[in-house]
Amino acid sequence: MKQKSVAITVTSGKGGVGKSTTVASVGLALAKLGREVCVMDTDIGLRKLDLMLGLENRIVYDLVDVVEGTSKLRQSLVRHKEFPTLGLLPAAQTRYKEEVTPAQVKELVDELKKEFEIILIDSPAGIEGGFRNAIAPADRAILVVNPEIPSVRDSDRVIGLLESADLETIDLVVNRVQPNMIKDGDMLSVERVQNHLAINLLGIVPEDRRIIRSSNTGEPVVLDDRSLAGRAFNNIARRINGEEVPYLELEESSLINRIKRIFHIA
Amino acid sequence: MAFLNMFGKDKERPTAATADDRLSLVLSYQRSDIDERKLKQFQARLIDLCDDFGYDVVGQVEIRPQSRQRDNTTVLKASIPVRLREKGENEESAGL
Repeated sequence: MKQKSVAITVTSGKGGVGKSTTVASVGLALAKLGREVCVMDTDIGLRKLDLMLGLENRIVYDLVDVVEGTSKLRQSLVRHKEFPTLGLLPAAQTRYKEEVTPAQVKELVDELKKEFEIILIDSPAGIEGGFRNAIAPADRAILVVNPEIPSVRDSDRVIGLLESADLETIDLVVNRVQPNMIKDGDMLSVERVQNHLAINLLGIVPEDRRIIRSSNTGEPVVLDDRSLAGRAFNNIARRINGEEVPYLELEESSLINRIKRIFHIA
Repeated sequence: MAFLNMFGKDKERPTAATADDRLSLVLSYQRSDIDERKLKQFQARLIDLCDDFGYDVVGQVEIRPQSRQRDNTTVLKASIPVRLREKGENEESAGL
């Protein structure tokens, strides 16, 4: 087993908040830092991580195959060509979540810990079986939240479930933040979200149209120097890596942008 | 419209502030695990309690759970409009 290997489950409760984007981006950013990282997709039946990392054409076996013994763990792992310290364990696309138990996933993660330093587990939306599979092997969790009431309420519920599963380290990533809306009083501030949830803030990621582009091209935004979200995810990876990194300045300050906002052009 | 708002016309409360209040409320409900039926029973007991102490409840009893972040607890705030019962009424209701 790698010294101090850690399994981190990325979860949210609500769907569509950016869990898989966070896993793909932070996973790749950690690999860029030289860490041995495995990203594991537990969303059986609805896999996404392969697409986000541009690895969809290289999948032969998946998580369910390993659990059932159809393939060996090493055969199911897909290594990233440019950053080979990053491995992907994909979810099955044509199976059901109920075909895997939390104990089996935990056993699998214990195996992965022999080869990787960090295992990032992408949890499915919801709090049913798939969620229980994803949190069973976790040493800590990252909660991805959007600054809106439905997302925060679901996250609050998930915090309760994580705590009752004896997960003590739960970090917060506030995703899809729009500083202009916060400034205009139309979006909950990161500070308010953190105050309500009362957990440690790991990162603030701004809304960024390059995210949509990246999920279409299979190149995570952490590889795009112009992307503010990419920089935010890189910073999250550095914080997980133990560095102290200040939060990004998200405020737009140029005069043109302010004028655009006044006339609702931007 | 946004242009006019710059001069202070049509000023509304920021939606984030409203959302913040709503969020406090929904989280309080969720954290205290209070369901509507339980709240109704609680209201009924409060009305009985007021009656025992010589108060007539003269309006809607409201119970609002609020989240207190300082110690992560829920505070139940009850609003009970009452009128002190006259002495004669008290004796009458007590069967004297």
